[in-house]
Amino acid sequence: MEENTQMTYTQAVTELEQLVQKMQDPQCSIDNLTDYTKRSKELLDICRKKLTQADEQLKQILADIQQQGQ
Amino acid sequence: MQQPSLFPDQPQGMTLSEFNARIERQVNGVPGLQNQWVIAETSDLRLNRSGHCYTELIEKDDRGITIAKIGAAIWAGTYRDLYNKFLRSTGQVLATGMKVMVKVTVNFHSLYGMKVVINDIDPNYTLGDMARQRQEIINRLTAEGIIDLNKELPWPEVPQRIAIISAEGAAGYGDFMNQLTGNPYGLQFYTCLFNAVMQGAQTVPTVMAAMDRINRHIDLFDCVVIIRGGGATSELNSFDNYDLASYVANFPIPVIVGIGHERDVTVLDYVAALRVKTPTAAAETLIQRGTTALAHLDELQDAVVTAVRDTVGQAREHLAFFTTMIPAAARHLIDTNRIRLDNHARNIPFAAQGLIVNQRTRLERAVERMGDAVSRALQREQQRLVALGDKATLLSPVNTLQRGYSLVRLGDKCVTAADQLHSGDQITVQFATGTTDATIN
Repeated sequence: MEENTQMTYTQAVTELEQLVQKMQDPQCSIDNLTDYTKRSKELLDICRKKLTQADEQLKQILADIQQQGQ
Repeated sequence: MQQPSLFPDQPQGMTLSEFNARIERQVNGVPGLQNQWVIAETSDLRLNRSGHCYTELIEKDDRGITIAKIGAAIWAGTYRDLYNKFLRSTGQVLATGMKVMVKVTVNFHSLYGMKVVINDIDPNYTLGDMARQRQEIINRLTAEGIIDLNKELPWPEVPQRIAIISAEGAAGYGDFMNQLTGNPYGLQFYTCLFNAVMQGAQTVPTVMAAMDRINRHIDLFDCVVIIRGGGATSELNSFDNYDLASYVANFPIPVIVGIGHERDVTVLDYVAALRVKTPTAAAETLIQRGTTALAHLDELQDAVVTAVRDTVGQAREHLAFFTTMIPAAARHLIDTNRIRLDNHARNIPFAAQGLIVNQRTRLERAVERMGDAVSRALQREQQRLVALGDKATLLSPVNTLQRGYSLVRLGDKCVTAADQLHSGDQITVQFATGTTDATIN
């Protein structure tokens, strides 16, 4: 889970795209499907969170930089 | 009026006013000095309280040294018309440092000296000159191979961390922030304003200083947005600057420029990764990248659902296939084997018969061979017996006895040596015909 929180949006969406590609492969085994689906859900959550949930720490850092420039 | 001279030889002088009046007659109203189009550069342009505009018209050589200069005035009534005409065509306010082509009439005033009065201006000349300057900068950036550097930078998937260069309090900055933070998709953006003067002589140094500060925190940002807007559209050519353009071109993250003018572009528009017309458009562009990413995530989610459904569906189809196939295959297998068994069953009597015939033939041949062998063996034995009979006959004691020999027996034993006999022994002597007893003496 720690690994997930440190992922960038690009890393997460890239892994997600690769995973979808594997799942779309006709050779995809049904045995892997549960793991793939579970991981896909995790990655989708990470990506959506990166886009729509505020990173308060980053906000504060940028506010400090802006304040220093006034 | 001339004064009487105390020195008769002294040359006769004239008053300055008389002299100036002579100049005035030589200058004012002379055809070649009236309504003449002149190319010059404006310098020290200013308006007085009456609305009259004063400037210096100058000409510089290739080294930038002023080689001609004359004071000029645009009277208030004319200035209003020329101001609007110039602004309409160029999008800019007539200002110091502009190359202009103006229609002038020389006016010499005895008290105020020589100046030209500007009656008209040709904005197309200024436009052409600005375009030429801009083109020179573009050519230089192209020759140095840097004009497309910023455009070629990869964009992050979703630029969310935005460094903004703008004037704080400017309407354009406010528009940008409102648009960005009020986006209806819940997209998060992280902004940091780097204050700069966005018009006039301070534009280039303050914008470059802001970029310096951004560069010190470059890892915190995805892109830079340079925006101005609201207020006058004057002095846009401040951005037609080689140093600034070169800095933007070489900047390590993409730069969005929203300083443009509806009818015109600056050099920055050529070097920036992205050019938009207004600050609002800059915000919309960023929001659109975010919504595109959200839409992409929706697509990926749909793809996951579809892939799961397809894979499970295929597995079900396989199962259904095998479910129907297994009994059929088993039935087929049983039928095939039954046919084979039947064939074998039908073939067994034939095969057995063939085998018996074969064995019988073999037995008959063996019996034949045994009969022959027995006959041959009997024959051999008979011959052997005959030979043995002959030999026995030959070796028989009867034959020996018939030749005159006698056989001496002591009891049931044959005597073959004289020392076997002792005196008084009763012996039997056998002849070829008959026997006789005797006693040893």
